[in-house]
Amino acid sequence: MIPDDLDRILASEEPLLPSSGFAAAVMEEVQNAVSAPPSLPFPWKRFLLGLAAISVLAASGGWGIASLSVAERLSTAFGPAFTVLQAPHVSLALGESAASILGAFLLVRLALSFTGARP
Amino acid sequence: MGEDQDLIDVRRVLAGDLGGFEGIVRRWQAPLINLAYRFVRDRGRAEEMAQEAFLHVFKQLPRFRAEAAFSSWLFSVSLNVYRSALRRHALPTVPLDVIARAVSRERPAQLVLEDSEREELVRRAVISLPPKYRDALTVFYFKEMDLTETARILEVPEGTAKAWLHRGRKLLRRKLGSLAADSPAALEALA
Repeated sequence: MIPDDLDRILASEEPLLPSSGFAAAVMEEVQNAVSAPPSLPFPWKRFLLGLAAISVLAASGGWGIASLSVAERLSTAFGPAFTVLQAPHVSLALGESAASILGAFLLVRLALSFTGARP
Repeated sequence: MGEDQDLIDVRRVLAGDLGGFEGIVRRWQAPLINLAYRFVRDRGRAEEMAQEAFLHVFKQLPRFRAEAAFSSWLFSVSLNVYRSALRRHALPTVPLDVIARAVSRERPAQLVLEDSEREELVRRAVISLPPKYRDALTVFYFKEMDLTETARILEVPEGTAKAWLHRGRKLLRRKLGSLAADSPAALEALA
């Protein structure tokens, strides 16, 4: 295929005519877009507050359990099954899990309050 | 006249008069549908994409700066919409070698493809190219081989557009060449 042939084929194409209702359909969509309520802005302030709260909770929860005093008390009170809590990494993981669950709960509440829905 | 009328209509829309946008739609509906068609080779889908493009143009209108030609801006916004649509719903493109084998099985070697079939095959080969070459070639030929306008619509420097066109054509010839090698009928068609 010679270059000119390629140019000719790609440059020449039978033009399509729009369907009769095309412009009206577009204008209807535009009208819908205009009359639709404006989209709600993302609540950055609340999000950042929530994020800060979760961070504080995660840090304090992790630190509290990792401090071993709770774990020691539990193992004393409930027996050797809780001695595993004395391992710092286990305590830390449990603390972070608890903080994550709490954080997720708070985020859901935040999202629900934002959308106006009730839990 | 067209560009002036576009600017008048843009001002009307920005002032809250939707009638201005209807003028824009009526003037540009055919070009936008035709550009979309070159990407999808399907009339219904081309109209859907053009409709989406108009809606996007309407929403983006406050961002239009009159120092650029309205038509370039319109095609540029629309091209971005088409690219997104193509990414969302990739075309069920059939590799050219598969077409070639089908052609050679179904047709006697001496039978030459109809001109229109051959041309359609070449156009479909363009949309199977990597996106930047596909876009460059499609816009370039749609805009009657105007490199400056093509670069504006693609939002790249002219040198880049030129390089993409060169590379795109090269890839296209290679694809069409392998098609010809696989299919005697296509070989004749592409001669």
